[in-house]
Amino acid sequence: MDVAQALVMAMQTWGMIGAVVALVFLVIGIDRIDEDARGAYIFRPLLIPGVLLIWPLVLWRWWQIETERAAWAARYRPVRASYGLAVVLMSVGIVVIVITGLSVRQTWPADIAPVQLTEGAGQ
Amino acid sequence: MSVKYIPVQWNPNKWLYDIVMLAAVAAFLWVFLYVTPEVLSHERAINPQIHNARAFGACAFMMLTVILCIGPAARLDKRFLPLLYNRRHFGVMTTFVAITHSGYILNWYFNFSSSDKYVGLLYANSSFGQIAGFPFEIFGIFALVCLMILAATSHDFWLKFLTPPIWKRLHYLIYAAYFSVAAHVSLGILQDQQNHVFTVMFMAGAAAVIVLHIAAWMADRAEAAAKDGAWAEVARVGDFREGYAKIAKLASGDRVAVYLMEGKLSAISNACAHQNGPLGEGKIIDCLVTCPWHGFQYDVRSGRSPAPFTEKVPTYRVRVMGDMVEVHPDANPPGTYVEPVPLPEPEPELPEEGVTT
Repeated sequence: MDVAQALVMAMQTWGMIGAVVALVFLVIGIDRIDEDARGAYIFRPLLIPGVLLIWPLVLWRWWQIETERAAWAARYRPVRASYGLAVVLMSVGIVVIVITGLSVRQTWPADIAPVQLTEGAGQ
Repeated sequence: MSVKYIPVQWNPNKWLYDIVMLAAVAAFLWVFLYVTPEVLSHERAINPQIHNARAFGACAFMMLTVILCIGPAARLDKRFLPLLYNRRHFGVMTTFVAITHSGYILNWYFNFSSSDKYVGLLYANSSFGQIAGFPFEIFGIFALVCLMILAATSHDFWLKFLTPPIWKRLHYLIYAAYFSVAAHVSLGILQDQQNHVFTVMFMAGAAAVIVLHIAAWMADRAEAAAKDGAWAEVARVGDFREGYAKIAKLASGDRVAVYLMEGKLSAISNACAHQNGPLGEGKIIDCLVTCPWHGFQYDVRSGRSPAPFTEKVPTYRVRVMGDMVEVHPDANPPGTYVEPVPLPEPEPELPEEGVTT
């Protein structure tokens, strides 16, 4: 129970930090780093769930754009190289997990009449 | 294309796409819930919550399967490209269906105790040391978180902000999510399945995803890369068609699209600035090439979108050596104008000896 509670609390904390980041980024940051966002406000609430979920990435990119650290060419380099790895890992994983799942399947004794094992606590 | 962001970019084609998608989802749920309970062995569902949870779970799996088939199918056969056009709406809808599935589960199995239902979900089964009875919920939670990240970052703002390569890497989570869904199903509902129809549907769907992706990957690998450092060969002079491109793969792995427009050659990056779609598969109309994925347009001489749009892609230098068109592997900064190179007339093929023309 302690671990489960800690995980839920960690998720809540993550979300609260994300809410603060979302507030600052969507009110101040987005106008500084994206000219297409200036004067456009209706779409901003749509971005809140994304900031809540990946706020560390948002902060990193915000910092990268502000400091102009990203090389322009990287923007036009599709990530095809890792596609094969992703596909092979997914495919092998699915085959293994399906075989594993089928191998531990149990036959349910549906036709057997119920048997009372004890007389029960109330008798 | 951007100028100012709006919440959702709809047009008649996207409306049609979304209507067909929603109708298909409604039809699936109706068939699952009311037409085929005996076929799918849930004719004795304990209560409506469980019945609905199974319907939405099965629907989410089928939607995810279709989404994952669209990408490689479009790479292998261009007739599937229209399905790719609005796939992000499809993905967002899938996430809502998956959230509905998890809502029915949470609000039935974990909702009637003094403890928090989310704590209950994580605490109820902790048999991580065994396969039979493994807490399969954990795979569902992971897949749902992945789908929520993908849906929440589907707006065009995220593409520009994160850049297409980072956005694409983030969206590779779809593969982890699909594996996780397969594990969720294999160690979950499949353990309790008396009727094999759903088992067969599940395995056929997963097999289709695997086969299509492996085939697309193999086709991608088959394309030969150019020699490092040197001008890269693109195609012979006679192979070019007015208004269309030939695509060259550089040693770096980058792709260049070389177009023939009004008898002259121009080269730009094959990766669209929007989502790295294959520009070289688009056709030129009025000096502009249109990306086949989402309709972004560029002037092939400068790599710039027409005003008022601001997207830019890198350009490349082109030369003609004898009968071969070549491109220099060093890209110019996005939006750099490059003077188009006239394409010489292809040399007529000499008739072989003994053959009369």
